[in-house]
Amino acid sequence: MRCAEAQRLIDLYVEDGLPEDARVALERHALACPACAFDLRSCEQTRRQLRAALQCEGAPPDFREKLSARLHHQFAADLHAEREENPFQRQLPLLMPAEDRR
Amino acid sequence: MCGSRATAYEQRLVARFREGDPHALDALFERNVDRVYAYARCILGNREDAEEVAAEAFSQAFRHCLDFRGESEFAGWLFGITRNLCRSRLRQPRLLTMPLRPEDAVTDDTPERAALRADVQAALADLPQEHQDVLVLCDVEDWDAAEAAGILGRSVSATRSLLYRARRALRQRLAARWMEE
Repeated sequence: MRCAEAQRLIDLYVEDGLPEDARVALERHALACPACAFDLRSCEQTRRQLRAALQCEGAPPDFREKLSARLHHQFAADLHAEREENPFQRQLPLLMPAEDRR
Repeated sequence: MCGSRATAYEQRLVARFREGDPHALDALFERNVDRVYAYARCILGNREDAEEVAAEAFSQAFRHCLDFRGESEFAGWLFGITRNLCRSRLRQPRLLTMPLRPEDAVTDDTPERAALRADVQAALADLPQEHQDVLVLCDVEDWDAAEAAGILGRSVSATRSLLYRARRALRQRLAARWMEE
């Protein structure tokens, strides 16, 4: 592997988006090339530091609850609040592939 | 998370919401609320502003669903609105924004960790807005380039290229900051 190709792959490497063979080839290149090794490690570190500095928890429970109620109130005129629940609709999330459910 | 199946599922939820199904509102809300809040909090830096922006973003996105028909994607609209609201919030004079709540302070950081956090935040703030946007979406919030491209209104390849430049610009800013010390 040449440096130009290594440079092209570094970003995918740090995102864990490289196939195994390309990952191994890049790591081998980095062992032999101090400049690319430096780029690789500093790119990883910068990304890790950015996440550590900025990553936040999800929405607080009290906020979720209040906002959900507020949205139901806001769109009450557009929603059928009293309608009989359709059993098919209740089951719909279960029909979704597991990896897509949240 | 997205993928075409998840997007198709979300489009079905949007259709059900337009028909007046309150469970569809709940499902769309639950699927997106954590990410919208975390994204706004990350950009704005405090809980108060993040809650206000997230609330307004959901309100506008659901209104959009009812007012505009067609194949628009709920999550894409929602995050586009959130991004614009965050930007306009940041343009407001700081005196008009609420002070941080005590619980916003990071209390379990060592002094070294707090300093690192401050350095990274300052270096990020030095970057152009488009660099900040793509770094927050892809490297903090874990969106893939295709999802981020939809929010940023760019092609996937342009988003990848922007991300490449943004990472290196951030690295340079951090290195320069630490070389000075």
